[in-house]
Amino acid sequence: MSVAAPAVSEHGFDAWVAHKRGRRINNWLLVAAALAVLGWCFWDTIMVDTDWARMGGALGIGGTLERFLWIDWSLVPHLIVPALETLMMATLGTLLGCVLSLPVAWFGAANVTPSKYFFYPVGRFLMVLSRSIHEIIWALLFVGAVGLGALPGILAVAMRSIGFISKITAEAIENIDPKPVEAIRAVGGNQFQVMYYGIVPQILPVIIGTIIFEWDINIRRSAIMGLVGAGGLGLVFFRQMAMFNYGGVTLVVLAVLVLIAIGEVVSHYARKAVI
Amino acid sequence: MEGRARRGLPGHEENRVPVLDVRNLKVSYTSSGPQILKGIDFSVDDSDFCAVIGPSGAGKSTLIRCVNRLVEPTEGDIVLFGQNVRALRGGELRHLRRRIGMIFQEFNLVNRMSVMDNVLSGRLGYTGAFRSFFKAFPREDIDRALHLLERVGLQDHVDKRADALSGGQRQRVGIARALMQKPEILLLDEPTSALDPKISRDVMGLIRELADEFKVPVLCNIHDVQLALETCNRIIGMQDGYKKFDGPSKGMRKQDLDEIYAMEVL
Repeated sequence: MSVAAPAVSEHGFDAWVAHKRGRRINNWLLVAAALAVLGWCFWDTIMVDTDWARMGGALGIGGTLERFLWIDWSLVPHLIVPALETLMMATLGTLLGCVLSLPVAWFGAANVTPSKYFFYPVGRFLMVLSRSIHEIIWALLFVGAVGLGALPGILAVAMRSIGFISKITAEAIENIDPKPVEAIRAVGGNQFQVMYYGIVPQILPVIIGTIIFEWDINIRRSAIMGLVGAGGLGLVFFRQMAMFNYGGVTLVVLAVLVLIAIGEVVSHYARKAVI
Repeated sequence: MEGRARRGLPGHEENRVPVLDVRNLKVSYTSSGPQILKGIDFSVDDSDFCAVIGPSGAGKSTLIRCVNRLVEPTEGDIVLFGQNVRALRGGELRHLRRRIGMIFQEFNLVNRMSVMDNVLSGRLGYTGAFRSFFKAFPREDIDRALHLLERVGLQDHVDKRADALSGGQRQRVGIARALMQKPEILLLDEPTSALDPKISRDVMGLIRELADEFKVPVLCNIHDVQLALETCNRIIGMQDGYKKFDGPSKGMRKQDLDEIYAMEVL
């Protein structure tokens, strides 16, 4: 909201002060309103909704947290296979996501889309659909469709990857230098040759960088897939939690941390090598 | 063809064999927008090295791009190798484009591809999907590419990336790519305006030499009038979408030039 400034030079000092006072009062009213809303949120969600009696005071909280500190190292041998499964889920999911992203990016790039009125909106819609549904929701859908195990996790990761990879790819296609494309058209190249020789070499570094980045993110996603029954470290986490083996839970969290660190290092060097 | 030997010499007018014939060509990029070409007529003979000169915005690039339909004409006729260019569809148009070599102002190379692959891409019109996917060009194409690269003086840069070369070298790659097509006509769109004066002369000289050797007629947009007069046997002068001059470069007088560039003198 903009308040039209009075013509101060005509009305002089008094008009200027009155104008400033009016704005100051407005500002205070806004701050007071914001504080009131904040206070109501705090009261309604934290003070009223929390089961204070069950918390059992500072000692109770500390005692519960302390149970997580006794890491259950005996579980290590049982984590190797799920950790590998998580890594494979991320890798296969990313690869499948790449393949599925190809047509989506093709449809959704304004300068190469087969039809501006049909395929372009379809491509854009698929990009939004993929990203607006959380990976856990995708996993729940696929666990329902294909049962428990790593496969629904792979499918969920793939579906969730399409949005990002195809959006970045489509944008890279839209930003290419049109001059080589013109040259390939001029030598009599067909649609496929124009794309493969004129466009792909230009966007390849962007795409590879994006895929590596997406793989890195997908390791994180795969690590929680097990919470809904889609295999990997998440499943172990879920079981340890159900058995109240808090030390085991901490160990799984550490394993996820190690996995993510590995992904971070690998993707750092891989991106450097490509770009 | 025998007519080649007489290029630029008096008397060649009697033996005219037109390769390209353009009649009443008009182009507007949008239906309501300004007309870029306002009715152009000219023809190019099989022995011509024909320059199109004129101030910026005269429509030179549009004119040359109409010949291989990189730009769609709005009106008029273009007859190339006896075919009506405007009537061609999809595959027919691609087949015609294979016979037309084009060299561009900014080289239009694929920067992230090697020099060799850029040159080989000149053969794409003749290469099937499977071979183009694996960049597996037939032996004779590879031999020809290596020969042409040597011919343009780039035999030591075959495996470099195109963006590792200097401007003059890149244009030489562009020349080799166009000649890979075994073109029956060459279209040059300001081939030297991105180069310095010395390199411009070298490149133009090379194109002239190769065009003579392979007996290819040339239609060439060019900014540098002096270079056009030195290299070409025929000049077409354009101004604001109209043809203002058409004749042998030998007969061109200063007042003809003044008329073509009248608007720029302001």
